[in-house]
Amino acid sequence: MSGLIDSISRVRLIAGNTFLEAVRQKFFNSLLLISVALVASSTFFQQFDFGTGELKFITDFGFGALFFFGSILSIAATTQLFFSEIENRTALTMLAKPIYKLEFLAGKFMGAHMLMLVFTSVLMLVLAGILYWRETVLMARLGQEFQDGRLIAYGDLFVFGLLQWMKFGVLSAIALFIASFSNTNLYTVVVSFFVLIICQLQYIARDAYSGMEQGAGQWFVGLLGLIFPNFQLFNVGDQLVFNVEHPLSVGTVWQVVGYGVIYAVAFVLLAQLNFRKREI
Amino acid sequence: MSVASCLKHPLLLRLRSVLAVLLALLLLGVVTRPLEAPAWQVVKAGQPEMNLQAIEGALGQGLVVGVLGGFRAIMADFLWIRTNTIWNRRDRVKLNAMVRLVTTIDPRSEFFWVNAARMVAYDVPHWRIDEEGGYALVPDRRQQVIVREQVEQACAMLERAREFHPQHAKLYLETAQIYLIRLKDYAQAAKWFLLASQQPDAPYYAARIHGELLRRQGKDAEAYAFLKQLYAELNDDPHAQKGVILDRIHELEVSLKVPIWTRFQSQVTGVGDSAGATLEQKVRMLEQGYGSE
Repeated sequence: MSGLIDSISRVRLIAGNTFLEAVRQKFFNSLLLISVALVASSTFFQQFDFGTGELKFITDFGFGALFFFGSILSIAATTQLFFSEIENRTALTMLAKPIYKLEFLAGKFMGAHMLMLVFTSVLMLVLAGILYWRETVLMARLGQEFQDGRLIAYGDLFVFGLLQWMKFGVLSAIALFIASFSNTNLYTVVVSFFVLIICQLQYIARDAYSGMEQGAGQWFVGLLGLIFPNFQLFNVGDQLVFNVEHPLSVGTVWQVVGYGVIYAVAFVLLAQLNFRKREI
Repeated sequence: MSVASCLKHPLLLRLRSVLAVLLALLLLGVVTRPLEAPAWQVVKAGQPEMNLQAIEGALGQGLVVGVLGGFRAIMADFLWIRTNTIWNRRDRVKLNAMVRLVTTIDPRSEFFWVNAARMVAYDVPHWRIDEEGGYALVPDRRQQVIVREQVEQACAMLERAREFHPQHAKLYLETAQIYLIRLKDYAQAAKWFLLASQQPDAPYYAARIHGELLRRQGKDAEAYAFLKQLYAELNDDPHAQKGVILDRIHELEVSLKVPIWTRFQSQVTGVGDSAGATLEQKVRMLEQGYGSE
């Protein structure tokens, strides 16, 4: 039991240091600044909008920024944090102490994941603030349209943030897994982005070819659907935030969270399989 | 080289690792499927662009949703500004491509569909006729062919729009108006106005125009029956303009020579209040209500 507690303590220490190292990085700060500026300026971009409601546009824009910059950050930061330890030889010092490679990887993952928590929270707070401000202005102007109260479910906005954070967790774990057998930073980043695109799009192949005749093609698509996690599962912003006819149930949210946790843990364990054989 | 040393070849070892990882991921996919499948059904059901029947449409939308995510609205907006520049230049080939691109990127906005259909149905025929020498030189039959081709293209576009917005009256109304204004096809226009009137957000005038178009086709009896039914179903909202409908009913009664004692009775004329009156009094009241023929 004490072994487990010690292990958790070591993971926590590595995670804490990784997180501190990450938040000090210029890359994180500039990306966060750009994202916040972009979300904050969504009311300006609204001038170019045709047909979509103002609140819908701002929400879409915020979600777009979160997905775009969040994906870049989770891949780049995880890769950078992992390779900096290898390149600076600090990993050698660390692993020379009684620290298992799994603890090292879990610590790195947790640090990167905490970084993504900060990023997601800040962006969601800014987005919620802007939406609240604009909705209040609209309510004052068009009172009749808001007879049933506010249109946006602000609590669910943060639930969506949580789901995105879970997705970034899976993405960080995938980047860590690729880094575990890759020799260069660039290779890891590029391959991770390819995997991200496959995960974003795998559902199309699955859906489009589910009706096709039995054969090699269907088998291949079926395998593809099983090998790569389905990232579109986390794309539930509209269903959560706006009061639509079929709002997302709490059970479904938990299913998606569970799916994300399982994949994140699995990829960290797979990374460990590669990393334990690796010469540092 | 022995079999044992072959098996220890670095390439084979690497291949074994890759296969092991793929197998692990495959197992993971199988294990998580009971968790993913029900959630995915719910998520998919809430997003119409993920439920297209046509594979081409599903692939296009899937790519857009997957790659652009929330940025597709702003991307489509900027492309729409570009579309307008192309429209100003009267470049119909590029216009078609841009319209398709914009509506693929963001099919959620009715604005793109309706305005794109208007460009295709109302503006492009003029450009094509001008390209072929102008109205003076192009024979009427050829002009009609061009207009019909463009109308068909616009209607196909609106048909695609209805895949995303199956209950939006505006899209049915647009098809109806294109048939009415561009082709003077009263039968098709009447059909689409009727469909528009059956949608949840339908304006009151859609059903009224359907009745009027039946009359213009000479289907007075059908129009009479329809308007009577419509009058009975409408509420007393002033926007419903029940008075206008009643006037049309009376006009149809005159043209159909409906016997005065079987004519439509409404609350508006006060006829409905004469429950206790004799038949003679009712006839007199009706005559007062309609004026003499």
